Amino acid sequence: MVLVLALGDLHIPHRAPDLPPKFKSMLVPGKIQHIICTGNLCIKEVHDYLKSLCPDMHVTRGEYDEDSRYLETKTLTIGQFKLGVCHGHQVIPWGDLDSLAMLQRQLDVDILVTGHTHQFKAYKHEGGVVINPGSATGAYSSITYDVNPSFVLMDIDGLRVVVYVYELIDGEVKVDKIDFKKTATTNSAH
Amino acid sequence: MLKGKLKLPEAARRAFPDRLGSLVMGFDDKDDENGGSDLVFGSGEELETFQPNGFGLDRESDEDEEHKPSDDSDLRIRQRSDKDGASSVSVSEIIAADEKRSDIAFELSQKEINLEKLQRLASLGLPDGGGLRATAWKLLLGYLPASRDLWEKELTENRLKYAKLKEELLLSPAEYTRRKTEALDAMEQDVDSPADGPLTRQEISQEDHPLSLGKASAWHKYFQDTEIAEQIDRDLQRTHPDLKFFSGDSSLSRKNREAMRSILLLFAKLNPAIRYVQGMNEVLAPIYYIFSTDTDEQNAENAEADSFCCFVRLLSDSVDHFCQQLDNSSVGIHSTLSRLVELLKANDEELWRHLEFTTKVNPQFYAFRWITLLLTQEFNFHSIMRIWDTLLSNTFGVQEMLLRVCCAMLLCIKSRLLSGDFAANLKLLQHYPEINIEHLLQVAQDLSPDTSSFRLSM
Repeated sequence: MVLVLALGDLHIPHRAPDLPPKFKSMLVPGKIQHIICTGNLCIKEVHDYLKSLCPDMHVTRGEYDEDSRYLETKTLTIGQFKLGVCHGHQVIPWGDLDSLAMLQRQLDVDILVTGHTHQFKAYKHEGGVVINPGSATGAYSSITYDVNPSFVLMDIDGLRVVVYVYELIDGEVKVDKIDFKKTATTNSAH
Repeated sequence: MLKGKLKLPEAARRAFPDRLGSLVMGFDDKDDENGGSDLVFGSGEELETFQPNGFGLDRESDEDEEHKPSDDSDLRIRQRSDKDGASSVSVSEIIAADEKRSDIAFELSQKEINLEKLQRLASLGLPDGGGLRATAWKLLLGYLPASRDLWEKELTENRLKYAKLKEELLLSPAEYTRRKTEALDAMEQDVDSPADGPLTRQEISQEDHPLSLGKASAWHKYFQDTEIAEQIDRDLQRTHPDLKFFSGDSSLSRKNREAMRSILLLFAKLNPAIRYVQGMNEVLAPIYYIFSTDTDEQNAENAEADSFCCFVRLLSDSVDHFCQQLDNSSVGIHSTLSRLVELLKANDEELWRHLEFTTKVNPQFYAFRWITLLLTQEFNFHSIMRIWDTLLSNTFGVQEMLLRVCCAMLLCIKSRLLSGDFAANLKLLQHYPEINIEHLLQVAQDLSPDTSSFRLSM
């Protein structure tokens, strides 16, 4: 039972001052084993805060990140799943599923976590799963101003992943659950 | 049949009265504390020199009619004496031990077990190995009823109860949700359909997600329990590091630690007032060890369930000692410590005065661990078994006997305590020296009774 937090596009301090307090109160250290961050944090203070929640943190570079040492893409294996992380501004058209599927095949992962669109998405596409945790602060994006703060918590347990989606809608935290299983044939799709 | 060498056992029988076993064991042991013992040493040495051949031939000739095997037995005995050389087991000791074993086995095989008789026999020590100790402890703790016919029913009932409790309380929330959804999935056919498209979202309540802070949330409780579980794990790693049964990376020790972890976690969850206190693992260890090494296979398999029930029963007397709020109350640890001091005063005023006033060695400094952990940290594993035999077989309860043994521990090192100052005495008491256990228990039995506990038990 491995808990993985996926979030990104916080844009602190440029577009948002901080995470919503309701989110902050839920994120306490000790529960989460890994953090995946799609990018655009943007400053070191945010990096340190996230690091305090969990020491195992994976960040990829967004176009506004001030730390240029972050990588463009990252892959990691958790349990039976291979996860890939990329900010997503490199993939054109932004948010296009086919292009993202190309990236997924390139990285050879089961679950691809990207951001940049600031909209939550969870898609099963061409043998892989694409998850976009949205923007954790609700910061405006180049596409739209109407953004609900959201992030994702994945519970990886053997061949099964339960994805908990946390969204702040009208000041209330709403939690949704998505279940999916990895089948044996998923990887051989080429 | 009788040869010259066989004079020993007869001589022994003539010279010593009935309670041969305890007297002989009293001064034969090399670990004897010289200061406290006032028994005769001379005959002990005699016994030792005759040991190798006399014993074996005596037994063999009782069993076979012919002399032919005697040569083999000679060799065997000599080999055995080489092995036993270090522990210098004496002839009469072995005879007495065998008699004891058969007595107890006889008692335990009755249909209606006479608990009083069992208590008397057990206080003299139960034999190691075999299932006798396990069964005796279960009877003494009240886990098994006195009548043999009811055993089967009681055991299966309790084991089932334990399995149910485990399932209810120790399930991780992920497992729980998985089982819930699996039940639903079984009804739908196309759950794993590889259809592309957005994944279906299901709305869930505020309690059902891992970050939930709600009190009723299964996840929240799970994370709270992880803290206790972590402490339990840390303590279990340190339990008896010298015994392969508990420590190390073998699958056996891992399995044992896992079982003990479940027991302690379950206890902590069922008793939120006390939860888990460091040291409970030490109290559980002997029980679990004895039950899992039971020669009866069914018992050994269900050792976890049986240990849980017996652990609960054993702790029910002393559970107040672990609760911090009750420390200063009449049932708390301080009151028990003052009873110990009273007992010491009633039996040896000189030592009491020396400890209380001259050196000001407060019982809090040394006896706290003795009492709460039932002496598991003061002696080696084997001695703990023997001491617990006596503790569990006391008619007035474990706590009363425990206080007597603690007092006896003080009396046995009296001379060293009287000649020491605060620092030396404290050091001595916190690292209690090796001592002859039978002698210690004998002193404990002979103490004049603690009047305050008599009042309580009446």
